[in-house]
This record gives sequence, C-alpha cells and structure tokens, in this order.
Amino acid sequence: MNEAPSRSPDSKSSDEKLMLAFSQGSVEAFAELFRRYKQPIHGFFRRRVTDSAHAEELAQETFLALVRSAVRYEPRALFRTYLYAIGLKLLQNYRRNAAFRAFFIGERKAIVDPAKHDATESALWVRGAIAKLDAMDREMVMLREYEQLSYAEIADLLAIPVNTVRSRLFRARTALRELLEPSAATASSGLKGSRVSAAQLATQNRIVKGDCA
Amino acid sequence: MKAEIHEIAPEEIMALLDGELSVDREAAVSRHLEECATCKEIRQPMRATSAALAAWVLPVRSGDAHFESRLFDVARDVRYAEVATGVRQFAPFFRRHWLLTAATSALAAGIALTLSSSGLHLARPISSAKAQSEAADGSGFGMGRADSEPITDQQDKNFTNRLPSAPEVSGDSNGLVHGLGDHAQNSLSDGDTVGAKFRQLELEGKDHSRWLQNGPMIARTVSLTIVAKDFGVARTSLDGILAKHHGYAASLSASTEQNSARSLQASLRVPAAELGAAMAELKSLGRVQNESQNCEEVTQQHADLVARLNNSRKTEARLQDILRNRTGKISDVLAVEQEIARVRGEIEQMGAERTGLEHRVDFATLELNLSEEYKAQLGTPVPSISTHFHNATVKGLRSALETVVSIALFFAEVGPSMVIWLIVILPVGWFFWRRWRRSYGLASSASL
Repeated sequence: MNEAPSRSPDSKSSDEKLMLAFSQGSVEAFAELFRRYKQPIHGFFRRRVTDSAHAEELAQETFLALVRSAVRYEPRALFRTYLYAIGLKLLQNYRRNAAFRAFFIGERKAIVDPAKHDATESALWVRGAIAKLDAMDREMVMLREYEQLSYAEIADLLAIPVNTVRSRLFRARTALRELLEPSAATASSGLKGSRVSAAQLATQNRIVKGDCA
Repeated sequence: MKAEIHEIAPEEIMALLDGELSVDREAAVSRHLEECATCKEIRQPMRATSAALAAWVLPVRSGDAHFESRLFDVARDVRYAEVATGVRQFAPFFRRHWLLTAATSALAAGIALTLSSSGLHLARPISSAKAQSEAADGSGFGMGRADSEPITDQQDKNFTNRLPSAPEVSGDSNGLVHGLGDHAQNSLSDGDTVGAKFRQLELEGKDHSRWLQNGPMIARTVSLTIVAKDFGVARTSLDGILAKHHGYAASLSASTEQNSARSLQASLRVPAAELGAAMAELKSLGRVQNESQNCEEVTQQHADLVARLNNSRKTEARLQDILRNRTGKISDVLAVEQEIARVRGEIEQMGAERTGLEHRVDFATLELNLSEEYKAQLGTPVPSISTHFHNATVKGLRSALETVVSIALFFAEVGPSMVIWLIVILPVGWFFWRRWRRSYGLASSASL
C-alpha cells in the first residue's frame, strides 16, 4: 500500500531527533532516516516522473541534498515536510528542464518502465484518472493519499492556506470519484444519467431539517 | 418543513475520515453521521475513492548499494569536515537573502566610490625639502604654492632686486639701488647718492647703463588666498600690515552675503624689500589656501628706456645749444624749437614709462583673496521657515511636473515604436508561451 512511515507520535518525534543527531555528527542516525524514507521518496518521484532512471536519480539527489544541508538543519517543521520540500523543489527543477528540452529540442522518448507494463489495469485506471485532474489538485491528492501528509503539512509544502487545502482536496476527490466511478456518482446525486459537479453536490448537502431527524 | 443550513460541511466528513478534525469536532461530526443518512452517502464514496487510489501500488525497490555506500561516505565526510573546521557556511545565507546581500553590497560600493571621488583631500603642506629645492633653483618664477610655509630667507633673496654691491653706489633707506636715469636725477634729495652719482656720470659723459648690467630688475607679483577664522580681525590687521610695511591697496572690494562667508579681494602694493615680511604677516591672518608667485625681469626693458632717454636728452641738449648759439632765419629757429618740443615730449613719455617700470620693481604686487571660514548659524534662518516650506513645495511641485512631462515626452517619443514592436512581438511571444505551458503541463503529467 503506501510507503509512508508510521505517523505515530513516537516515530514523528524520532525523525526530528535523528536528524538533529545527524546534524551533530551521528551517521547512524542518518542511516536510520535513510532506511525509513528510502521507499517513500522513491515512490514520491516514481509516481511523478515518467522515466524510472530519472526518478531514481532524483531520489538520490534528495538524500544528497539532505546530507549537505544537515549542518543548517533546524527543527522548525516536521522532518518529513522538510524532506518532501527538498524533493518537491528537485521535481520542479526537473520539470522545468524537461519542458525546456521538450520546447527547444523536442520531447525525449521516455524509457519504457517494466513496472508500467506489469501494472494492473486498476492502477492504470487510477493513474489515468489522476492525470486528468488540475496540477495543484493532483499534487494535493497524491501527497494526501500516497505520502500520507496531513493538511497542515500539505499547506506548508505547497505554500497555501490549510482551508484551501481542505476545500480543494474535497473537490479533487469528488472529481476523482466521478472519474473512477461515474455510475456511482450519478446514483448518489439521485439524478439518473447526469454527471454532477462538485459544487452541485455541495449545494445538495443543504439539508431540510426534517430529513436529518 | 423548514429548510435549514446543514450544520456539517461535506469537507468535514472528509476531514473526519482523514483524521484532521479536533477531538470535539470529531465527536460532533461522528454523532451526526450516525443520524444523517445523507451525510453517510458522502462518507462511503470518499472511502471508496481512497481505496481505489490505493490500487496504484509500486513495486518495492531493492536499492542501489553502490549509491548508498557513496551516500554514507559523503555523510561522513561532510560531518567530519564540518566538525574539523567548525566553519559556518554563509553561502546559503547569502543565497537565501540575496536581495539583502545585493543591496548591502551596492550600498557599500556606493559609499566607497563617493568617498574616493568626493575630493576630500585636505591641503597638504609642501614638505620643507621640496620648498627649499624649489627655492634653490634661484628662480621662483611662476611657481604655485598651496601651503602656508613661510618663505625662507633663500627664497626671499631670490625676489629681491637688490643689485650686487657696486662699490660706488649705496642703496637707499630700503636698501634698494634704484635704476639710473631720471628717477635718480629727479630726486629732490641732495643727499641721494644714487642721483648724485648719476648726474656725475652724465656730466662726465659716461655710459651709466653699465650699472644696470650689475643685477636684474625684477617686477614681482604674488597671489595669496587666505581663509581666516575671524574675518573682522583679519580685515583690520590687513590695514595695519600695509601701513607697517609702507604699502597701499591699489584696489579692494569686500562682499558680505547672507548665509555665506565674507570675502575680500584686494590688489596691494608693497615695497619689494618688505614683500617677504608683509607676506609672512598676511599668512598669519589665517590658513593659506593658495599661493603663487611670479617674477618678471624688466632689466632689458629698463635699459632700453634709459638708453633712449639719454639719447633724447643729448639731442635736446644739442638743439638747445643750436638755438642759443647759432643765428639764422626765423623759420630755422622755429624748426629747431619744434624739434626741441618733440624731443621733450619723447623724453617725458619715456620718463613716465621708466618711472612706471621702476615702480613695478620697487613695489611688488600682491593679489590677496581673503575669505572667512564659514560657520552656519543656528537659529531661525532668514527667510522664515514658512518661506522655506513654500519654496520647497513649489520646487517639489515643479519637479513633479517636470517628471510627469518627461515621462509623457518619453512615451510620446518612444511610444509609437514600442507599439509597433509590441504588435510584432506579442503574438510570437504568446505562441511560444502557449507552447511552453503545454510542454510544462505534459512534463508534469506524463508519468501518470
């Protein structure tokens, strides 16, 4: 399922402690952090970058950047947020360069990923549905569903208010629900054969008091 | 039934499922969900969506052992380097606060540039060695000095027109040996040894121009710029100095403007022998900002004048003799008298020239520029503050208007060209921008 480390309070605090220990010279602490976040970071990039080799490179660069910035680390936020922020920045740089290359040089043919070949039909279906979302909504859904970040962490990472995260996440999930199960969305709205927008769905939740009794 | 606003927002149901509600709110929403069938209809699809998304599973990655080994080596090296040197890395700080860094650097550069080119160089006194070397060449002609160093005795001697001691001639009360000719001849003093000597030589028919070859006749001009702390005292002292050294002011003008330093420009005449002493006393009035001295040798000029004068006198004497002793027609007599008159006129003119020349030699010219060290006055200035404010406001409005006009003129001049270029560039730029955005969007969603 998801590769995110446990969100128990103990593991949360220990991430920061480990990073502090590493900033003060403990390589063992870094080794533990690396063990915990190796798969999540790889998954983070693997879901966002076509080329598996590039995803691997980006994951490695993230840890390298983490090592180099260890001296300046201050536990002002959760370590996880810090780490994913590094990853997000590297991802943005990568996308910018890819767009530049695609624009001036032409799009490179992505290396065929065997995993993609072996991917299940439902996984492909999910990937396709997510790809149809708006970029920001897509990123929020993925950070929530796969990286298991909290609303506050997502807001911190994307530099947007928490309420915006909540409303846009709801909107994105509603749209995803329709994309993944259009027949189910139609049934829940009570309107047969018609697609319902997230706004209409929200409006219909203004309930007459008698119905909730 | 009355329609009411549902107390639970759909987002809260989602937040409940995500565990993002506070404890109190979570309890309230949970209670509501148990009672409300409609809200339950929101919860179930949310769960299903999350479950569907979970179907996208990635294979477990084995990891790159080589990279991991290198990574840990780097981690160790970084740590040891940091521990060993203990040097704080400032580069990231500057990278983060690049704007502050750039502004501080620009400010520091601006201050350094202003200080270096502000011309804040103080008047530096010329070293005594330099001054003496300048004086040692014996000329001192036309040199400019910007110090307050007194003229040494050697330099003073350079400016004297004292002739080397001629055994037969002694100087006057000022120690000067005057030029020969009418100046000496017209002296009223019977005790004027120079004049007596001249007359004697003339009567003897000797050429007294040789006397002039014994030493140069120099007309000296000095220019002094002095800044005095107390202008009033300096002004009074100036009169005293002139009186003491038998000098006089050929011209003098003083100005006293509001809120600025008082100043005085004077052209002084001081006996050449007193020049050094007078300059020393004038320099003591304040700080010498500038000093220049110029010497013009007029020996040849004077000698020529004297020679011509002598010849003219001899001519006149012969004509007088002819008139006295020879008889002839009246027309001849008249002709002789006319000639005598003409010669006399020449003699007078040349005499005046020589007198002026000798006066220039006898009296050095001192161009003095005396100014006051300006101290701004504290207190209510004149005009009043309201006038200042009014003036500043008018100036500000005028400046603002000029700025607006300048901008308008700029756009009037450049605007039409800019419009044409925008018409040409905008569609092209928009096309490429759309292409870029499309490429960026493709790159971001290509993997999904």
